[in-house]
Amino acid sequence: MATSRICVPGQRLNRADDKHIGGKGTYSRNGFIYSSVLGYWEERPTNDNTEILISVHTGETQTVIPSIDDIVTARVTNVNPRFCKCEILSVGTTPLCDVYRGLVRKEDVRATEKDRVEMYRCFRPGDIIIARVLSLGDAQSYILGTAENELGVAIGMSEAGVSMVPVSWCKMQCPKTLNEEFRKVAKVRPEYIQTVHQG
Amino acid sequence: MAGMELLSDQGFRTDGRKPNELRRIRFKKGVFKQADGSAYLEQGNTKVLAAVYGPHEIRGGKGKALHDQLLINCQYSMATFSTQDRKRRPRGDRKSLEMTAHLKQTFNAVILTELYPKVQLDIYVEVLQSDGGNYCASVNAATLALIDAGIPMKDYVIACSGSYIRDTPVVDINNLEESSAGAEIIMAILPRCEQIVFIEMNSRLHEDHLSPVMDQVMTGCKDIFNILNQQVRDELCKKSAQDRIVDSG
Repeated sequence: MATSRICVPGQRLNRADDKHIGGKGTYSRNGFIYSSVLGYWEERPTNDNTEILISVHTGETQTVIPSIDDIVTARVTNVNPRFCKCEILSVGTTPLCDVYRGLVRKEDVRATEKDRVEMYRCFRPGDIIIARVLSLGDAQSYILGTAENELGVAIGMSEAGVSMVPVSWCKMQCPKTLNEEFRKVAKVRPEYIQTVHQG
Repeated sequence: MAGMELLSDQGFRTDGRKPNELRRIRFKKGVFKQADGSAYLEQGNTKVLAAVYGPHEIRGGKGKALHDQLLINCQYSMATFSTQDRKRRPRGDRKSLEMTAHLKQTFNAVILTELYPKVQLDIYVEVLQSDGGNYCASVNAATLALIDAGIPMKDYVIACSGSYIRDTPVVDINNLEESSAGAEIIMAILPRCEQIVFIEMNSRLHEDHLSPVMDQVMTGCKDIFNILNQQVRDELCKKSAQDRIVDSG
């Protein structure tokens, strides 16, 4: 029955006991789970099958904002010796409807030999990078970090304006001019590429 | 107002309503494409447009950002042609600024602000035609716009006004009753849990009469809620039925 599956904000969905937990589009108050958006009821057992996750999904994609520990995709806009600025394009696999400003500081670029990092040998404007949100930062922008093997430049633009092929963890080669340029290259996980392509 | 009774001996008001009767409510969600959520609402002759943008990055003065919750930015304005006498300034006068503050306060209480730290949500309300109950219509329209935008809320917020005329509590008062009757009570509530998020009273009312008027306004709010909720559900139901037809080819 379609009507029974429709939820409106403030509608009581279930008791919030040890069997049921609220997911997306819900909140709990006084021991009950309530819907917080207009959408459809969804019930799914959790991974370990001990609890039932109740969520309300709307037809459209939920508005997401970057939060701490999220993996984000960003485009580099500005590089200087201390940090590089970028605009965050998507969180995980969900594209953002509005760009958010991010910042990668010099000391967050890689995990080892932090003091020998040179920003110009890691990022260039136009690169697409994968990074982790370290903190929500000061009032200005989100602080991002790439100090992991899987994080760094995913798509690097060469001086000739072509996207480059990675040759090592710190170098990329331009297929047009065969010039090698320095980058903090990300070891992109295959499943990540898959989800991005599907999305 | 010589010879004109706000409540006739037969128990009818100037516009022919019973004391506990609401004006006709019509609304439409999603009237704008550019906004993330929008709604148009009519309560009798009061007509209001509301648009919601966001959540998005803080614009204009990063210092306003709240590190642990959403910043709600409201703007209330009345069209220059909305009142009997043409208005000079659509917004920025004292009355609009007060209304803006009230709307902001109301929606801060009901939106789940802790879900979106450091970002901003804009709520714009424009009164196209004013016939009393501007605050109420604005709140109701903005609620619908927020639902349309998919912003998580605790509940609907529904606002309604009321007054006390000739020993009778009346509900949803129009401009004439607002300007010539005694006190006006405005309430915004969460209809399901009956919590009051906003209450305002203009001019004086005897203490004994306060609770009957509040009860009547509360009932009015719940009636408005039922009307809005019914239509919101019906629309989604219709939409999902249509989607199913499209999906099945």
